[in-house]
Amino acid sequence: MTANTPKPAAADALASAATRARNELARLVSYIVFGLSAVYCAWRASALPASRWEPLGAGSFPKLVFIVLAVLCLFAAIKSVIDIQRNGGMPEAVYAFGRWLKIRRISFAIYGLLVVYLAVLSTLGFSLATFGFLLIAQLLIAGVTRRTVIQSVIAALVFSFGLNMLFADVFNVFLPRGVLIAF
Amino acid sequence: MLDAFFQGAHQVFAFDTLLYMLIGSVAGIVAAAIPGFTVTMAIILTLPLTFAMEPLQGISVMLAVYVGGYTGGLISAALLGIPGTPSSVATTFDAFPMARNGEPGRALSLGVWASFFGTIISTLVLIVAAPPLAIVAVRLGPWEYFSLIVFALTIVASLVGNSLIRGLIAGVIGLGLATIGPDPMMGRPRLTFDMDLLSPGLPFLVVLIGIFAISQLLGEVEVHGKKVNHALIPKSIDFKTWEVMREVLGRPVNLIRSSMVGVVIGALPGAGGSIANLLAYDQAKRSSKTPEKFGQGIADGVVASEAGNSATAGGGLIPLISLGIPGSAVDAILMASLMVHGVSVGPRLILDHADLVYGMFIALTVASFMMLVVCVASMRLFLRVTDIPKQFIVPTVMICCVIGAFALNNRVGDLYLLGIIGLVGYILKCLDYPLAPLVLGVILGPIAETNLRRALMSDGDWTVFLTRPISALFLAAAVLSVIFSIRSIWKAHKKDNGQKGAVV
Repeated sequence: MTANTPKPAAADALASAATRARNELARLVSYIVFGLSAVYCAWRASALPASRWEPLGAGSFPKLVFIVLAVLCLFAAIKSVIDIQRNGGMPEAVYAFGRWLKIRRISFAIYGLLVVYLAVLSTLGFSLATFGFLLIAQLLIAGVTRRTVIQSVIAALVFSFGLNMLFADVFNVFLPRGVLIAF
Repeated sequence: MLDAFFQGAHQVFAFDTLLYMLIGSVAGIVAAAIPGFTVTMAIILTLPLTFAMEPLQGISVMLAVYVGGYTGGLISAALLGIPGTPSSVATTFDAFPMARNGEPGRALSLGVWASFFGTIISTLVLIVAAPPLAIVAVRLGPWEYFSLIVFALTIVASLVGNSLIRGLIAGVIGLGLATIGPDPMMGRPRLTFDMDLLSPGLPFLVVLIGIFAISQLLGEVEVHGKKVNHALIPKSIDFKTWEVMREVLGRPVNLIRSSMVGVVIGALPGAGGSIANLLAYDQAKRSSKTPEKFGQGIADGVVASEAGNSATAGGGLIPLISLGIPGSAVDAILMASLMVHGVSVGPRLILDHADLVYGMFIALTVASFMMLVVCVASMRLFLRVTDIPKQFIVPTVMICCVIGAFALNNRVGDLYLLGIIGLVGYILKCLDYPLAPLVLGVILGPIAETNLRRALMSDGDWTVFLTRPISALFLAAAVLSVIFSIRSIWKAHKKDNGQKGAVV
């Protein structure tokens, strides 16, 4: 071990400080987004006309709620900036943010797949769109091997076409049919 | 009276009625175990099937679905961390960590026994105290309701998790989300930004599924280190039926207090299992000598939340039987099923159809025993869920969530909302925001606003909230609750600092 290599405990402390700074940076962004959205919503709510029949009207309650939210976000943001400064500042936080995304790459991939699935559901119909979603999602999680492909195809068939038939024939709940009208 | 009781018992204990009730119990448990499918949906699907039955037979089947449904939500709450129904939100707080700690069988068993005893206690209260409780419940005006909701909102303080400020922000975001869509009094569109998607408002169920289910499922596939694809709960399973029964009975104060919370909340029109579940959990945590263990898989948390939501079944029937006022959507459907058979529901119900009323009491008791038998007998089957690898369970449960969100209103727009809310929920979860306060805000927001505006519409004087005794009582309870929470947080903070000091 050379003299320049940090000791494990010191390295852990550095990593921990970077993680805390990363978390606080992400939270700070959320406080700013929520705070600004709250100010905008409070302004929109105050533009709602007053009612002739009641003292409060439609806008009072949302205005109150969003003003409270904006104030809470302001407090949280100030506290967050102080915490980031204590834990190494912005450069450490930006570096650690990349790792944060890497850990969640499959989660975001599945979410992206869900968005595409929801977008095409009414066009392709429940059975086809669900088959595609289940197949790709299962392979994304389990990895592509001959065994996982066979298992995933069977599971996707059962929970797409099978589930659609169950809901239509047993519960009388008709899911979007899309191009497959016959199903 | 005894004649009517025996007539009711004779009808309920008929072979075909018991058989239909058994099927109803299984259907309720299975339906509620699927995230997105509520007890209300299961009851609605059952209603047409009861038209051809005798009135008591039909309502007995629906009660079996009702009781089974309140317990079924526990299964996905404990095994997947996703509340199967809105009334099992608090169940996830301790049942899921307990299952993750290698005791999924005990978590389910605790919930099942607590649900059973909760239903039995609520039935006893229903039989003894239906008329006086109903009179009190009906006397409550908007002032009392608003004060009750203020009290219920103070629960947020005990659901905040690691950060008080993030918990409060999440709770207020929930209140804010509930204001989107038509205003509850006049129907004026608010904060819809001229988007068709937002014009009907955010359906509560879509918010619940998005916030809890989608975020939980996305969290399951995060890759920390080496990529893994094992089952969600890897440890072996032991149901420990009788041992857990003794464990539940060994907590009589918690069990009775949580059941009474369920009965009272169930008896209040508009409130329901979702509020009772959270309120009972909150009361158990506050009364506990070890509140810091709540949220880590403590038995008291599971018992309180499940006894609380199941006890609303009996509580909801109190105003229905005594005054013909349904306490919840499910009670309204039960009432509709009686009306379909030409039975007039109102204060004269117990005088004109005593056999029917006593039959309902018996059916509720039988339904809870049936739920217990079905759960104990089939729990090993449900526990097989824990053996299924993530690659199958995560996408498939996601599809169930999509179906649940769609089936609510048959609206594709709700699915887009589900996608957006799911992402928000996941990001909030990643940033360590507690999600329960947000859901609480969405539940309580519209009730609080409606009652506040109603109260001020009939009398613009704000002091009425303090001069009406029951309203003042609720507000005093809210103030005490806040003081107690601040004291607990301060004590926990002091303890943490003390420990850090000791380490240094």
